[in-house]
Amino acid sequence: MAILEVSNLTKSFGKTEVLKGISLSLEEGQVMSIIGSSGSGKTTLLRCINFLETADSGKIMVDGDILFDGEDKTKHKAKETREKQLKIGLVFQQFNLFPQYNVLDNVTLAVKLRAKERPDYKQNKKQILKEIEENALRILADMGLSDKVDFYPCQLSGGQQQRVSIARAMALEPKILFFDEPTSALDPELTGEILKVIRELAEKKMTMVIVTHEMNFAKEVSDYIVFMDDGVTAEQGEAEELISNPKTDRLKAFLSKLKD
Amino acid sequence: MFWTVTKSLLEGFGSTVEIFVMTLLFSLPLGLIISFGSMSKIKPIKLLTKCFVWVIRGTPLMLQLIIIFYGPGLLAVWAQGQDTGNAFIQWLAGINGFERFTAVIVSFVINYACYFSEIYRGGIESIPKGQYEAGQVLGMTKSQTFFKVVLLQVVKRIIPPMSNEIITLVKDTSLARTISVYEIIWAGQAFIKSDGLIWPLFYTGAFYLIFCGVLTVLFGKIEKKLDYFKS
Amino acid sequence: MKKRSIALIMAILAVVLCFALAACGGDKNTDGNASDGNASDGNATAGNVVSDYEEIKADGKMVVGMTIYAPMNYKDENGVLTGFDTELAQLVGEKLGLEIEFFEIGDWGQKFNELKTKKIDCVWNGMTITEEALNNSSVSIPYVKNEQVVVMKADVIDNYADAESMKELNFVAEEGSAGESAAIDAGFNCTAVQYQQDALLEVFSGTADACVIDSTMAKSMTGEGTSYADLDYSISLVNEQYGISFRQGSDMTEKVNDVLKELAADGTLKALADKYELTLADELAA
Repeated sequence: MAILEVSNLTKSFGKTEVLKGISLSLEEGQVMSIIGSSGSGKTTLLRCINFLETADSGKIMVDGDILFDGEDKTKHKAKETREKQLKIGLVFQQFNLFPQYNVLDNVTLAVKLRAKERPDYKQNKKQILKEIEENALRILADMGLSDKVDFYPCQLSGGQQQRVSIARAMALEPKILFFDEPTSALDPELTGEILKVIRELAEKKMTMVIVTHEMNFAKEVSDYIVFMDDGVTAEQGEAEELISNPKTDRLKAFLSKLKD
Repeated sequence: MFWTVTKSLLEGFGSTVEIFVMTLLFSLPLGLIISFGSMSKIKPIKLLTKCFVWVIRGTPLMLQLIIIFYGPGLLAVWAQGQDTGNAFIQWLAGINGFERFTAVIVSFVINYACYFSEIYRGGIESIPKGQYEAGQVLGMTKSQTFFKVVLLQVVKRIIPPMSNEIITLVKDTSLARTISVYEIIWAGQAFIKSDGLIWPLFYTGAFYLIFCGVLTVLFGKIEKKLDYFKS
Repeated sequence: MKKRSIALIMAILAVVLCFALAACGGDKNTDGNASDGNASDGNATAGNVVSDYEEIKADGKMVVGMTIYAPMNYKDENGVLTGFDTELAQLVGEKLGLEIEFFEIGDWGQKFNELKTKKIDCVWNGMTITEEALNNSSVSIPYVKNEQVVVMKADVIDNYADAESMKELNFVAEEGSAGESAAIDAGFNCTAVQYQQDALLEVFSGTADACVIDSTMAKSMTGEGTSYADLDYSISLVNEQYGISFRQGSDMTEKVNDVLKELAADGTLKALADKYELTLADELAA
């Protein structure tokens, strides 16, 4: 069964229809890239799945759980939404790290706040907090940031900040990790370190959805690519096949424009 | 004579400091509540709050002092003159108003809370949307996001305008005299009347300067303390 | 439409504010704060005129609103309040069986608000009987005569013999005082300041050429042996009389008038006036 299932998702801002019925699905452990020119609706799609926008109609399912159902008009409790939110993680284009916390605290803040809701928190407080920190340190080590745990975001390069934000999302152990153009805010020479981290996560069979402009990277790291154009999925398929053998004129035009 | 004057000025200064501290104590949190009102998504609340802030910021503090202190009493006098069985008017006739010092604190708190609320609003609205979104996608509640993530960044941004406003408050305390609440300027002027001495009035300036100096140093320290991060 | 709704909201806001204030006030019914000088006790009923005297008597004390101002109310070397009005008020209090409490008003401009809202029971502080006083209070019979005089630096005072010669000078006078209206009537170029003392200070420091103040004050605060030794006073402009302000419709005015006449008849008032070098009003001088 697919871990992510989006069907017929629509979204309008005022009179502008940004998503005109998006359907896609993703298997566990796979990587999906969403490509397309700016304004094609790919970021809006990502934001709808992550509760940052509310879709108008359609359905989103993650791991068998309904995240959003356009038919269901009842108001959901904030707590319920938060629980669902935690199934997925999001890495922002602009990192959005918390500037007043050091690297370790950035990674552990949300996890620690969440641990407070555990029934055994009061009894095992020390133990729980210790485990959270150890886990965070392990993730940071994976990201190659072991020597930066005490640093503040303003003391780090863009690439390092983006790695911290990936670690922060990973610490909550999401089922799927979403990336919103993770390298767009970085200098070209820094994009390599982010791509390397994503590649390593892919090898560990982390389920990921990446909105990106890096065509070569998308081709290399993803199993599946969705090409979006004007609010619809114009073409989707296996990564190799889609890039080397585009079927629609729109994708052909898009790919040739990138080569220039 | 110098000692007598100093003693008298210290007494007035005590009252000045009391007004200052009480005003800050209540207006700092009240300002935050008002700022939430003026940023509310509920239109009537937003409009009402904005009107309130407009009225308070748009009229002199001295006028507010007079209205708050004498207003209820004048209303009661008017009501006592009405020959009517109307329960509301009879109730009005019995109202007593605030005591002097309370009236000063109430007026100052309302006035300064409105100024602070606008500073808070500016600070809160200047925090990038991404900070709230990051909190949300990390499964934090709205209040967790506000208190754990946004607040300190807001504090850092509003320290300079707040220190400005708070230093203005130190000097505004002299308005308390309008409704006969003793403070340092009154203490200083008393010597002109009773002894024909002008220097005690100038001497009060030293108290204000020292007080504001201490505050300036204090705010400088806070600013420095928050220097470790950029927002 | 929009304007109308804004006006409506403003009106609601004003009403809400009034209620909030009233509610806060209503909560603490009996305050009994002595220094507050609040004479009302919150259970007066609408339309029922209570005797002001009875109310003050029930309260145990009469609160006299004044400012520190020699020779009427001022503190002696030991910091004890004295002065003509201080002593007179105490004498009158004794006769009426009322304890007297003096309250220093911070802003003289608020005196009638203080009186109307019963924060004080009378204004008794060498107050000139003016149109304003008559319109806002019930004023006693005049008890002391006073003149408004021109004060300037002693070394130039001989150059200005009459009002005509003073037209070019920059005058100051207390806002709303008899001195101010006298200066305006005389056609002087006059700036208002908050207190008579400020007016003296202006002349002393040279920021104004001359001021118009009460002769009683000019007598006690200028010339040799005073704080303003360099100043002197010359021509008098208007004759004024001092009175005591009570609340409008108060029965206190009559009672105090009777006591004043009684004190005049037995010579007490004359002795007191001589002690402070004041001139009694004609009605009480005989």
